[in-house]
Amino acid sequence: MRRRDFLKAGLVGTASLLGAGALGPGEGGAAPAAKRLTKPIRIGGQAVMSGPLGGYGQFMRMGAQLAVEEINRAGGILGAKIEIEFRDEELKPDVAVRNARYFVDVWKADFLIGIDSSSVALAVGAIMPQLDRVLVVTHAATEKLNEQLVFKQGIRQVFRISVPVYQDGILSAMIARDFPVRTWATISPDYEYGHTSWKMFRETLKRFRPDVEFVAESFAKFGTVDFGPHISKVMAVRPEAIFSTEWGGEAVALVKQAKLFGVFQNTKAWMCGMGAAMDVLEGLGKDYPEGAWVSCRYWFQYPNTAENRRFVSRFRERWQKYPHYVSETSYSAVYALKGAVEKSGSIETAAVAKALEGMTLTTPAGKRHIRAEDHQAVYEVPWGRITHDRNYPFPILTDLRVVPADQYYRHPPFA
Amino acid sequence: MIEALLFQGLVGLSEAMYLWMVAAGLSLIFGVLRVLNFAHGSFYMLGAYLTLTALRAFGGNFWLALAALPGICVIAWGMERFFLRHVYHLEVAYQLLLTFAFVLIFDDLTRLVWGPVYQAPPTPRGLDRAVSVLGRPFPLYNLFILGVGVALGVGLWLLLERTRWGRLIRAAAMDREMASALGIRVPRLYTAVFVLGALLAGLGGALSLPIHAVSPGMGELIIIEAFIVVVVGGLGSLTGAFLSALLIGLLHAYGIVFLPVFEMALAFILMAVVLILRPWGLFGVREG
Amino acid sequence: MRLDSPRTWSRGLLGLLLAGLLLLPLVTPRFYPYLAMQVLILSLMALGFNLLFGYTGLLSFGHAAFYAAGAYGTGLLLKHTGVSLLPAVLGGAVAATLLAVVIGCFCVRHLAIYFAMLTLAFGMMIHSVVWKWRDVTGGDDGLIGIPRAALALPGLGSVPMADQTAYYYFVLAVSLAAIVALRRVVRSPFGMVLQAIRENEERAAFAGFTVWRYRLGAFVLSGAYAGLAGAMLAPLENTVAPGVAHWTKSAEPVLATLLGGPYVFSGPIVGSVLFLLLKEAVVRVTQYWLLVFGVVLLALVLGFRGGFVGALVAWGRRLGRGLGPG
Repeated sequence: MRRRDFLKAGLVGTASLLGAGALGPGEGGAAPAAKRLTKPIRIGGQAVMSGPLGGYGQFMRMGAQLAVEEINRAGGILGAKIEIEFRDEELKPDVAVRNARYFVDVWKADFLIGIDSSSVALAVGAIMPQLDRVLVVTHAATEKLNEQLVFKQGIRQVFRISVPVYQDGILSAMIARDFPVRTWATISPDYEYGHTSWKMFRETLKRFRPDVEFVAESFAKFGTVDFGPHISKVMAVRPEAIFSTEWGGEAVALVKQAKLFGVFQNTKAWMCGMGAAMDVLEGLGKDYPEGAWVSCRYWFQYPNTAENRRFVSRFRERWQKYPHYVSETSYSAVYALKGAVEKSGSIETAAVAKALEGMTLTTPAGKRHIRAEDHQAVYEVPWGRITHDRNYPFPILTDLRVVPADQYYRHPPFA
Repeated sequence: MIEALLFQGLVGLSEAMYLWMVAAGLSLIFGVLRVLNFAHGSFYMLGAYLTLTALRAFGGNFWLALAALPGICVIAWGMERFFLRHVYHLEVAYQLLLTFAFVLIFDDLTRLVWGPVYQAPPTPRGLDRAVSVLGRPFPLYNLFILGVGVALGVGLWLLLERTRWGRLIRAAAMDREMASALGIRVPRLYTAVFVLGALLAGLGGALSLPIHAVSPGMGELIIIEAFIVVVVGGLGSLTGAFLSALLIGLLHAYGIVFLPVFEMALAFILMAVVLILRPWGLFGVREG
Repeated sequence: MRLDSPRTWSRGLLGLLLAGLLLLPLVTPRFYPYLAMQVLILSLMALGFNLLFGYTGLLSFGHAAFYAAGAYGTGLLLKHTGVSLLPAVLGGAVAATLLAVVIGCFCVRHLAIYFAMLTLAFGMMIHSVVWKWRDVTGGDDGLIGIPRAALALPGLGSVPMADQTAYYYFVLAVSLAAIVALRRVVRSPFGMVLQAIRENEERAAFAGFTVWRYRLGAFVLSGAYAGLAGAMLAPLENTVAPGVAHWTKSAEPVLATLLGGPYVFSGPIVGSVLFLLLKEAVVRVTQYWLLVFGVVLLALVLGFRGGFVGALVAWGRRLGRGLGPG
């Protein structure tokens, strides 16, 4: 594998390799643009790989690995090849912290990426000043990461390339304000993500639509497989629409069971912030009710740009799959690091962090602007409605609604 | 109001049936073999996965796919014959440890064979609709599961109470040495009981396939609840397991409505209260 | 001092080990002292667990409750009060001890599987409490931003602990003190009575010992050790999340103890080393570490029930018999 990559690189990027050899181990002196790195750049990734959510680790690795292969084929970053390794975060903060410490202190990682769970992101984020490496979070959505850790506590090493919970809680309400719906209920996960997004949704929607009422809520514990009692509790008060932030296999089980309970015939709208994730689309397949409103952190048909089309086709070529959103975020995380290293001409944490601050990148998901104040990447992800299209082996989105990210991201100082 | 409560209860009862199918085997095995099988949830998982593979092979016919379930028997036979048999005389800790080792092994083998991503095949035709119950749509599939669970209960009762084999099982459960002295081939009986118990869990897993998402690790989500069911019902008591599965189902269903803050802990609170006041379980028999 | 005496050998070995632990931060990358702290913390939890299991004959499946009480107790003290490190850690341990008194009163009259299930139930109740009491515990996001306060030494000023090496020596000192103390406990008359109860409850009762009181004593001390372990975790990680109270956490000291050997004092310590090193070694090679670990456990149950130390002792005896005069 590595040997073949090397040969390919030899064909494509002879010049840069020669350049690296010629410059030798010299440090500094040359202008950033001409600088060559001598050692491979190491990226340590972590994600859930085991248990019911284990698929997310696989999707994340696919994206990151594709980026690494592309970059290495094209000569690497300033002449240096990238090496990447992934570990299972197990959704446990102590395991993830140990992984991060192993990566930095033993494996000599230059950068860290990944992380699915919010508590893991907060725990690993908190030790980044000690480890002094840049961490780019690619999935965990807690707003505390950018609002508290980075903005309030001033941890400059932590960045997030993926959309935070604003997508599920605030943008959803801006879409929902046009619905002919007066009563809403939720079935959502019984953890911070579920509670926070429901709270944001209610507060935002109430501002636009004072006439709307929130009539029922049921929070399902982590690992719920039977949503029946939640569905029947909520449907007993006959809400006109359901809002949910269930994700992964739980979103699939919820939709299948809600369908059997006739929820989709008896309500006017169904909104699910993670309902457009590729695993949910593939998991539900033909069972996905037409017209459900869904979103995620990247939708492979948006935006319709050359970069995105190229990414999707390369991804499909490499993995025989359409990209999951965590595949895109991890892919873009690797390219963001590449951009920052090239811009600063260094792999030093402070320099790379500084280069990332305020950077605007062109990524498959569109232009991402990394806010300097809270290190949050600002970009747009659409909401859309489920439709079945014969050209795809899974349901896709139609009627895409996009709102400029500036209008729905919370802004520093997060009063 | 009353109707809403009845409806909620019916939902709880129907979903208790999966728990019952796992707990039935767990209780049966404990009653006879005196081993609390941590890996019992893994049979639930393997039942779902084997059926999934057969479902794909048989072009999506769920009923035909259930024919894959005897595969569980082979796995369970191997586990009892070559491993479990060697720990019957050991302390509880080692029995739990051995079966826990199988939880880890089965989880990772499932991940290797079927991949880490959860799977969710469609609900079988004909059962993928709702019927009207108390004026509200109720899933036909839940009624079907309720029927299967009750039928299974009746079948097990008949098997244990009305057949020669059932009498042998009860005799062996009562007193292993006595049974052995009476000419019962105890090791073979143990294997048979273990396989039957595993098959019941596998059936539960297979029947959960159409409406749940199956994934590696799904066994751990149900095994602790199944422990609660057999402890609350009385270790080794099948009637107890059935009734306490229903009780736990109702507790969940009503807990979600009335005590959502405590819902996570309700089953554990119930288990603690029962163990403190009636350690032999609500429906078990006091020993000694 | 005779070189062929086993006592000399084991003392020498212990001395070497101690020297190694003292030198660790000076000679290895930062990761290994960190891993050593995790080993020490798990060791304390497992030693506490084994006071109940190996010495008293009770299998607890809910020790994460006390571990969590220690971790959250210390975390809250450090976050909301200005106390220094040692009082915060001891405060967490005290919180766990009090919890162990309450839970212990309900549990110690039960035996075998009933005891295991009851402790499991209490453990998971504590898990629900830390998960749901979001205002205090931070819910599933965890208690974040726990500061590592300086260690105030009366009359000597205060030692900053922000540096990992400083904290390493603190954890090492506290752990060694706790290990030595527990060793004295198990060799005291109290420890002897516990073992007598494990061997034959009726005979112990007949000899005039109130069995449940001794069991409760063991339970509380056991919980205190798990609590002390958790208390040292909070400043180490700066974060405590509800996973520390989950039953999977309770399984760790069980596995570590059985791995090392429950009938030797050092068993849980050796087991904790093996547990964490084995995992660390396996995940470097494959993501299928559950499979590897499962196979190791199978081999343990079927072949080496005395655990690693047990096997070593047996091997040593055989060797001794072979070499000795007969």
